[in-house]
Amino acid sequence: MGIVDLTSMGESQVKLRSEINERLSRLKDEISDYCFQCGKCTSGCEAHKLLELEPHKIVALLKQGLIDEMVNSDVIWTCMSCFKCRERCPQKVAPVEILFALKNMAVASGKQIPGNYTAMLQSVLSIGLLQDVKSVTTRDNKTISRSDLNLPKVSKPTDPTKFQMMLSKLAVEKV
Amino acid sequence: MKKYVLYPGCVMPTEQYAYEMSIREVLPLLNIKLVDLEGFSCCGEPIKSVNQMLSLALSARNIALAEKEGLDIFAPCPMCHLALSESKRILDSELGMNEKINKFLADEGLSYTGKVDIVNTLDLLHDIVGVDKIKELVKKPLKELKVATHYGCHLIRPSEIGRPDDSENPQKMEKILEAIGAKPLDYPEKLDCCGGLLTANLPDSALTKTGQKLQKVQEQGFDAFIDICPWCHRQYDSKQTKAGEIVAAKLEVPVFYLTQLLGISFGISKDKLGLDLNLSPVDKLNLGGK
Repeated sequence: MGIVDLTSMGESQVKLRSEINERLSRLKDEISDYCFQCGKCTSGCEAHKLLELEPHKIVALLKQGLIDEMVNSDVIWTCMSCFKCRERCPQKVAPVEILFALKNMAVASGKQIPGNYTAMLQSVLSIGLLQDVKSVTTRDNKTISRSDLNLPKVSKPTDPTKFQMMLSKLAVEKV
Repeated sequence: MKKYVLYPGCVMPTEQYAYEMSIREVLPLLNIKLVDLEGFSCCGEPIKSVNQMLSLALSARNIALAEKEGLDIFAPCPMCHLALSESKRILDSELGMNEKINKFLADEGLSYTGKVDIVNTLDLLHDIVGVDKIKELVKKPLKELKVATHYGCHLIRPSEIGRPDDSENPQKMEKILEAIGAKPLDYPEKLDCCGGLLTANLPDSALTKTGQKLQKVQEQGFDAFIDICPWCHRQYDSKQTKAGEIVAAKLEVPVFYLTQLLGISFGISKDKLGLDLNLSPVDKLNLGGK
């Protein structure tokens, strides 16, 4: 059980591809139909000014069928998931959720996962948490560990094998 | 005395110790008993971009662990609180998904039934404990300390899932801070995001967001910046110097967890609140004492 199984969902690529296409055509035909391009999502988007993410354009491009282009685009990875677009959309289109779906599909179709996500996944697989307990530095530069602070042991899955088994079963499920 | 299972998540118990310490000090004084439980994992929210199904199942598993104890869940991290709440919402409303997820959980002898509640620090303090009770415990009021609040995106949005405060005009932190003598003031950037979730793939952009907000807070003359999320605090406090370098500004904004400030006003010693672990210049306010 490794990262590849989890991210490719253990499916053969052909079957996976049709699954993804089905999901995407749902995005295209159902969700984006409601969007009337008011731009409210983009005007409040936290990633807009800094990274040029334009949620309303992504919805419009999906509607035009530019699905592969979106899945393969780096711009979908600039969303900070602040949920402002979902909150403010008068049509309940929720671009942030569309972006989550696009990113999931990019990962499932075998595109390289950007940045530290692979390490984070690997860590969840092996110890159940995003990262293991760290030593920290105080304001006057002393190094301190969790146990120095009299905090109890960190809660983690008690039976890692069973925990990993559950995750690997999940991996065989669809996105 | 009301009992909760403490669901610590990942970031708080592995590096943001000050949040955990101040929670463990402050809540018992307010008649809240926290129960530690073995076996929890990540809530899944930080890796939702990679696989949403995984996120849903991890959250369901964590809820199921608490259900076994028959206790409600206290999730101090807003991101965990959102993941658990969203998972609960989906499993309570979609029978098919509920059955599917429960099949996975059965391997570990767990099952999700949907009978426990999930609270965060904010609703626990404001709605369950109440501002009046907090007021009673104040020994050292924070005399007119001008504070800017930062709620964190996941704590207030999406409101459809049910969040502890209003999505566009949250005020519960303000109410709590007023109760301990501080003076919270509104500012235009209050709802701006810390950028923390971009740390995974665009770390410099994440810090730009952090630095830009702190710069505005500093310009407006606030004494302190108060947050309630371990991800946000990691950006605003732990990485403040780095954020300042990225936006080319000398940032000197004292940043506290809300629970640390409560502890100070209740007369709890600095050591017990993990105040030494704040890397922002909190000393300049001369709060607390040993």
